Amino acid sequence: MTDTSSPAPSLTTRPVSPHQLAWLRTELADWTAHGIIDDEQAARIATRYRSEHHSRISTGRVLLALGAGFVGVGLIWLVAANLDALSPLTRFAVIAALWLAFLVGGEVLASRKASRPVVGAARLLAAMGVGAVIFQAAQSLQVPAYEPRLLGLWAAGALLHGYLTRSGMPFFVGLLAGVVWWIWQPMWDEPHSLTVVLVIGAGSVLAASLAVLHDEGLATYAWAWRTAAGGMALVAMFAAAIPGIGSDGIVWTTWLVVEMVVAGAAALAAVLTRRDRRALEPLGATAVLVVATTIGLWTTGTDTTSVDAADWGHAAISVAAYVVLAVGLVALGTVRDHQALTWMAMAGLVVFTTFQSFAVFAPIVTGAWLFVVLGTVFLGTGFLFDRARRELAQALDTDSPAGTEGAAR
Amino acid sequence: MNRIAATGIIAVSQLALVTVGVAPQLSARVTGETYLVRVAPVDPIDPFRGAYVALDYPDLRHGGSQSFVEPGHGSLEDGEPGDVYITLVEEDGVWIGEEWSRTRPDDGPYLACDDRSWQVRCGIESWFLPQDDAQDAEQLLRDGAVAELRVDDRGNAAVVDVRAP
Repeated sequence: MTDTSSPAPSLTTRPVSPHQLAWLRTELADWTAHGIIDDEQAARIATRYRSEHHSRISTGRVLLALGAGFVGVGLIWLVAANLDALSPLTRFAVIAALWLAFLVGGEVLASRKASRPVVGAARLLAAMGVGAVIFQAAQSLQVPAYEPRLLGLWAAGALLHGYLTRSGMPFFVGLLAGVVWWIWQPMWDEPHSLTVVLVIGAGSVLAASLAVLHDEGLATYAWAWRTAAGGMALVAMFAAAIPGIGSDGIVWTTWLVVEMVVAGAAALAAVLTRRDRRALEPLGATAVLVVATTIGLWTTGTDTTSVDAADWGHAAISVAAYVVLAVGLVALGTVRDHQALTWMAMAGLVVFTTFQSFAVFAPIVTGAWLFVVLGTVFLGTGFLFDRARRELAQALDTDSPAGTEGAAR
Repeated sequence: MNRIAATGIIAVSQLALVTVGVAPQLSARVTGETYLVRVAPVDPIDPFRGAYVALDYPDLRHGGSQSFVEPGHGSLEDGEPGDVYITLVEEDGVWIGEEWSRTRPDDGPYLACDDRSWQVRCGIESWFLPQDDAQDAEQLLRDGAVAELRVDDRGNAAVVDVRAP
């Protein structure tokens, strides 16, 4: 146990929201009144935190981000579409100059300690600008702009910008472009339906692994990777449960194999370097990939006019798997204090239950009865889900030691 | 990392990514050999890109189909969209498509194309012109013209000129 009477080492203060600081002070006063800690200890705890005097999402930030987005799109459109008197080389030069101005301008603003939202807006323009440069160069040289390769290059450039400057805007642009490219590239080679399940499932494994690897030191990036992992896991399981999706089996292509290997390597790295409860995240995502692929490969027939025992079994197991995934994400959201995961899981469950109910019952139950059956299924699932969520939250609250969440937040 | 160094690394790396994106067409322009191909107009102006003349190649069309909306080279209609290679042979001073294949030919000249969209495209289907020159070019194309292509040894192609034969 720590000797609280010894001189405290110099500690850096951690920024928290005014709301959190107010809560902490109330609790400290309560603990002091009950003799749990003395006044000196309460004062020392309080000095470890400072109020960050702005909310995470302010109106100003939203407007700056929106403005930067509109200006970026508008400039690209203006140069690419309307200035037809410019030669392709001149158009490329104009776009490149704008990109370089935004890139350098953003970093100059950052070095001068300008307002973070303003710096973020400039960096967002630079991240969109590099995409504009890539696509303008491609257009000027007649490179087909509908290929996923260019999107992948844009994602790589924006992510590099985000990581080297530790800034959120380029990172989010890169993450979004990267997720789309990750799904699109293997589909470009072989547009088979089960490939969608495999690449989105593998994307979830990669993102979950990166979230765990980013927990220490890059909490914002970890949050984003975790959100992407949860979203892709829900989509993969949803797609896998669509009847007949795997009737063609798995068609292996170079890109599909590459993505599987990359996701596997990331999961291995996460498990080997985080040998505690956090390793459950990449392992859980891997389980989702395996279960989703198995469900996808289980083809029970595509005749929508008759529903046999195999169809009922397929639907029941799909629903059970989806509920387990949703509960798992809610548990993760509770442990990590990551509300987006909880909301995504609940929304996903609503959409999934509705879809499955229509897919299974619609051929045999029609009209008003379909809504009665759907409502009943919905109520039952919702009741069980809510009960499981409450019990999980209670169990985790009582079981979780103070350090469980640790630096992960 | 020093902010100036980081900014420099970002700028140089992103420009390198741009180069990777256009490497096939750069390679065609820099290392390619010149081939003349008969060309016909489709649509003088692309509304999203300004004064781009959309080009049609009667001698590079598979199956004799016509292009009314968008330039292309027909389709293979084998149900397996992907890479397409058009072997070129010379006939009366211009080059024409001889064979359409899914496998890369052992030797050239050939065009490396793609039919993942609804028809075969080889990256030579449009050509930029200033607005003022677009009408003259349209007349030239109606009278019959040839496109000067640069094609490298991997089949990457680029249009460098359109002129009277």
